[in-house]
Amino acid sequence: MTAQLQDAYAFPELPLDPADAGTNLLLTGPPLVGTQRLLLSMVTGADEGEGLLFVSADEDGVSIIEDYETAGHTFDPSRMCVIDCTDHSPESTGAVRQVSGPSDLTGIGIEFSSLYESLRESGVDRARVGLYSIPTLLAFAEDFRAVYRFLHTVTGRIRTADGLGVFAIDPDAIDDEAFATVAQAFDARVIVREGDDGPEFRVRGLPDQPDGWHPVP
Amino acid sequence: MSGDEAVSLLYVDPDEQACLETRTDLEASPLLDVDVRTCSSLSTAIETLEADAIDCVVTEYELSDATGIDLLDRLRDDRPDVPCILYTDVGPDAIHTGAARDAVVEYLPRDIPDPVRSLARLVRNVLDERSQLAYPLPETEDERLAAIQRYDVDDLEATMAVDRLTELLANHFDVAVAFVGIVDAHEERFLACKGADWDRLDREDAICSHTLLEDEHLIVEHVQSDARFADIEVLAELDIRSYAGVPLTTPDGLPIGAMCLIHDEPRSYSDDDIEDLHRFAEELMEQLELRRRLSDVERAVPKPDHEGIK
Repeated sequence: MTAQLQDAYAFPELPLDPADAGTNLLLTGPPLVGTQRLLLSMVTGADEGEGLLFVSADEDGVSIIEDYETAGHTFDPSRMCVIDCTDHSPESTGAVRQVSGPSDLTGIGIEFSSLYESLRESGVDRARVGLYSIPTLLAFAEDFRAVYRFLHTVTGRIRTADGLGVFAIDPDAIDDEAFATVAQAFDARVIVREGDDGPEFRVRGLPDQPDGWHPVP
Repeated sequence: MSGDEAVSLLYVDPDEQACLETRTDLEASPLLDVDVRTCSSLSTAIETLEADAIDCVVTEYELSDATGIDLLDRLRDDRPDVPCILYTDVGPDAIHTGAARDAVVEYLPRDIPDPVRSLARLVRNVLDERSQLAYPLPETEDERLAAIQRYDVDDLEATMAVDRLTELLANHFDVAVAFVGIVDAHEERFLACKGADWDRLDREDAICSHTLLEDEHLIVEHVQSDARFADIEVLAELDIRSYAGVPLTTPDGLPIGAMCLIHDEPRSYSDDDIEDLHRFAEELMEQLELRRRLSDVERAVPKPDHEGIK
């Protein structure tokens, strides 16, 4: 029990209980209502020994880091990195790795595995992974199956490496059937919606989480 | 992967010394029970993949006649479910993903301490997770595959019964094609097929791969406007424009395949139609169940030759 708690990933900024190591969460919500803000909060731990890999297909890497710091977090390039999959990005730096575009799922996967391995080598054996967002990957991919293969592979790596994955998707941006299939690759969902008093969220499918809707901080 | 049998791994590297060392180290690893084949080029790798059942491919980036990415591209065409690991000193920036941008591969740098240990662990994980599949797996995949062994019908009488039922099905619904498909680990095998001459389909191309995960059935009124299937060229080539499938489920709840209707233009089905399709599927499963029990009994009763006289 104690070992499990140590291994679990806590959410210091959110009214959530820790998620077990190896969990992959699908964060579902429309854009512009705090879905990305909640994602950045979920991939932030209190532990300075944790790594962070962020895959960004919608926004360039420098802007993501700005968003992250504007939300009051510190981006530490010695253990954090953004894989920038947008088309219009400059050359790779230590903090932002470039791939040729959102349709290059092979390239994104290679960069991801390489960074995960670098973290392990530098003694960081716990990492959170954020991805924003799945509909953009689907829009650029030649084939739905390629995106499923990519998600299945990346979530598998997170599961076996005892990481935590949070992948954002706007369910209204893709077909219901495609959404249901994508959801098969994940353990549970975090749902964001526009409430009366602003954006709110709840968790579905994880044991021992508080019930009901919570405001997105 | 059941984990009981030795894993068959293909290691591709133009450096002979590296081949020998990696093979020896992998075969000695306590993490894997593995049988390693080695080769140096894309062409010999393809020959090996055609000749032998390979569970996992590990490749250098620079091969004697191509790159590891070229090999990956061929692998996804020929054996799409086989996981591939790029194992190389070449960094991500220098790897040209070219035509294989949607192929997806695992990557492990060689310039780390004790790389073969990391490689063995990655091979183990990739196989355990059934990584790099392009379709979702039922939660009961292992049990499901074991059940297929028990229900497999290859005797003539059984095949005729399945054929008869499939023909009735096609006539009843007035569709272009009706079939019974068994979904194996990597492909769908057509047990009976009325209206077409289909033998096998890669599992990633088969709509039935998704039907296995349905509690009731899967109806796709227009295949080419469903995001999951619209890009699968072989479906359009086979004139699969509409699909209705009911999983074939064993009495203990394991889906082994599907009974399906295919039409060459988009179409819908009434609730009564779908209920009928369920009845056909139940009838077929009852047939298969009876035959399974019969063969169990035959196996359990010793042949007269071996029977002692009491």
